[in-house]
Amino acid sequence: MILALTCLLGCLLAGAFFGVGSAWADSLIVTDASGNQVSASKASISGDGNVAISKDGDVALLNGATFGISSFTRQNKGTNRDVDDVYYGYRYRTVGEMSFGVVVNSSYVLVYIPQEVLDELGLDLNDKNFQQKFLVTLVKIDKAASNGGHTIEEAAASAKVFFTSSKSLVVGDYTYAFQQEIGEGAWYTTVNKPGSHDASDGALYASSGLLTPKDDTVVTEKSTGMAALREFFEDLDWAPLWVSLRTTGVAIVVIFILGLLAAWLTLRVSNKVKGLLDTIFTIPMVLPPTVCGFLLLVFFGSSSATGKWFISMGLDIVFTWPAAVIACIVVGFPMMYRTVRGAFENIDANMLDAARTLGWGEGKIFLRIMMPLAWPSIAAGTVLAFARAMGEFGCTLFFAGNTAGITQTIPLAIYFDWMGGKTDVAIFWVIVVILISFLVILFINIYSSKTQKYRKRLGE
Amino acid sequence: MKKLHVLFVAAFALALVAAFALVGCGGSSASSASGEAASSEAASSEAASSEPASAEAASSEAASSEAASSEAVEAVQLQVFAANSLQKALPEVEALYTAKTGVTFVESETGYAASGTLVETLTADPTAADILITASAGSMDDAEAGSLVDSATRQTMFKNDLVLAVAADSDLQIADVKDLATDAIASFAMGEPSAVPAGNYALQTLVSAGLATGDKAGYEFDASIADKVNDGADKVGTVATYVSSGEVDCGFVYTSDIYRYDGIKVAYTVPADMHKDIVYPGAVCAQSANADVAADFLSFCMTDADAQAVFAQYGFELA
Repeated sequence: MILALTCLLGCLLAGAFFGVGSAWADSLIVTDASGNQVSASKASISGDGNVAISKDGDVALLNGATFGISSFTRQNKGTNRDVDDVYYGYRYRTVGEMSFGVVVNSSYVLVYIPQEVLDELGLDLNDKNFQQKFLVTLVKIDKAASNGGHTIEEAAASAKVFFTSSKSLVVGDYTYAFQQEIGEGAWYTTVNKPGSHDASDGALYASSGLLTPKDDTVVTEKSTGMAALREFFEDLDWAPLWVSLRTTGVAIVVIFILGLLAAWLTLRVSNKVKGLLDTIFTIPMVLPPTVCGFLLLVFFGSSSATGKWFISMGLDIVFTWPAAVIACIVVGFPMMYRTVRGAFENIDANMLDAARTLGWGEGKIFLRIMMPLAWPSIAAGTVLAFARAMGEFGCTLFFAGNTAGITQTIPLAIYFDWMGGKTDVAIFWVIVVILISFLVILFINIYSSKTQKYRKRLGE
Repeated sequence: MKKLHVLFVAAFALALVAAFALVGCGGSSASSASGEAASSEAASSEAASSEPASAEAASSEAASSEAASSEAVEAVQLQVFAANSLQKALPEVEALYTAKTGVTFVESETGYAASGTLVETLTADPTAADILITASAGSMDDAEAGSLVDSATRQTMFKNDLVLAVAADSDLQIADVKDLATDAIASFAMGEPSAVPAGNYALQTLVSAGLATGDKAGYEFDASIADKVNDGADKVGTVATYVSSGEVDCGFVYTSDIYRYDGIKVAYTVPADMHKDIVYPGAVCAQSANADVAADFLSFCMTDADAQAVFAQYGFELA
């Protein structure tokens, strides 16, 4: 229903638009530099043909044509800006002295091709066959380069096309000049409107390129399949993976030591203190990571007294790599701490007491009894903390920022690549993360099954 | 016995602080190592850091790539804070400038946030950037009011247009802003007006069309569009992403966003008289350590023919 309405509305609108367009086009008078009227091209732009277009959208060759287009660029905007205090009109940069120039307007499309180029290639500007081939190539390459903007194809539905070798054309109020050198080596297409300092409405956009003989027109088409995949990996920036591994790697060492110490410590203090410590150690797990990031930012940032002190001590870590590590430690630590504490609590206290009666010191008991008994849980806790730290996003973004190659970890890369329109790269990192997570869970499962075995054996 | 516990807690707290300090020091040396690694794999501008330690590594890298040019001038690295819409065009112009002068740029995506966000970041740390380019005169006024930029260097750099974008494969036809109130459009997105200039221009457009009242400080949508508008995008690029992924039917973005994002196209160009002029002022930050180089880069953007071609290709009109 909505679709039908949309179509109806679209048709109505398009009808109205074309009607007005053709009314304008009928009264169009285009004159060249010598005052001769230029007639509209009779060539049709909708002529079909197999046009090969390069992957960068700058080279195009029509199958069977003796010439192609190279170095094509669209200038979606020009500028009214003066050059050395002289106004030259609304100017669009072209690719060089011998380039053809195209100006696209909603009611006309002007194509300028230098006579020297035509002579060199043995082409006749007024030959309908040439115009047809040129237009088909131009429309295709223009569309490929448009990236969602206006196209000649869409304009030509209501606009007429004019070919010229004259360096200037007058259409209504506007004067279009081609092949203008403004400043050393910079060539432009200009639009002027007498008495106005802003002729920007004389064109929607302009483009330029070089006409090259067929043999010199090398089209490197977009690669597909395996070649495209290889190119993807060649272009891929692996930095997020290394940053992630480096950050998490350092963080996990610190988490491991701090987690064990904290778990051991909480077992040895009075219940009141234990409750307090436990709350402090666990709270980063409960708090939203952005809150952790915010608190860290305030704590270390230049806006707080503590931050000022740290900075005066030479520790300005906000938005640096150490900040990313600290963010990982803060959010990963509770995972390690809680898992290990649970394991320590499950150890039979009698065993520890027995060791004490045998004269073992606390350190020895920790290393020789508690660690081995709790080892599967310690390993699991480490892996969990590793995974949590690896997946850290909010806190890192807040506290360490998103600098490519320094603090941009995989989760940040996924978000910013997707936001930046690089969906394929984002998908790649998503797959990498899924693989890593899979390995983590597999590791935990294998370890816990080992624990089960050990329990069973004990039971027997 | 109790005392022992207190001692324990104190010792542990000390250990925590010491560990943090250790990480701080160890971290900075590690990151300078990362800088070296980057230069050895010649990842060029990809590897850049705001840290002095690795800035040295980066500078030596720049010097080696510039080996041909004279004696080792102390290499300068600039951090530009620019409106999100410049995210693709500006790095290309920066590369032109680097090729010409050897001055490098910090490559950081946080440098391309919504203009309001950039001003906030700069308020929190006035030394965070050397150059600020915003997408509205208002954001730059805020920066000037906070003495974050050098007023003498302020200039209008670019002009842009506001458009309604639809997904590239969409058949949706839009002939007027008022079409947003019709059933043909089920949802649309715009930037969050107080931080995102494009969102503010969109709000002004809606007010002009009679579909909203108020201004960015406080506004209300007309009942005909209230339940289909998503006005929470954190930057204009987010709107473009919403549109290209089909989450909304259309969205208010700049013309330049059409060229920088794949998968969206222009459906309707909003008449310029429906909102304030879209201009991008640029200025050198007041606390910049390289103010001269920063000013030179701004003038390069405005006068170099190749730089103009890049901006024009992405739909920015030099003012």
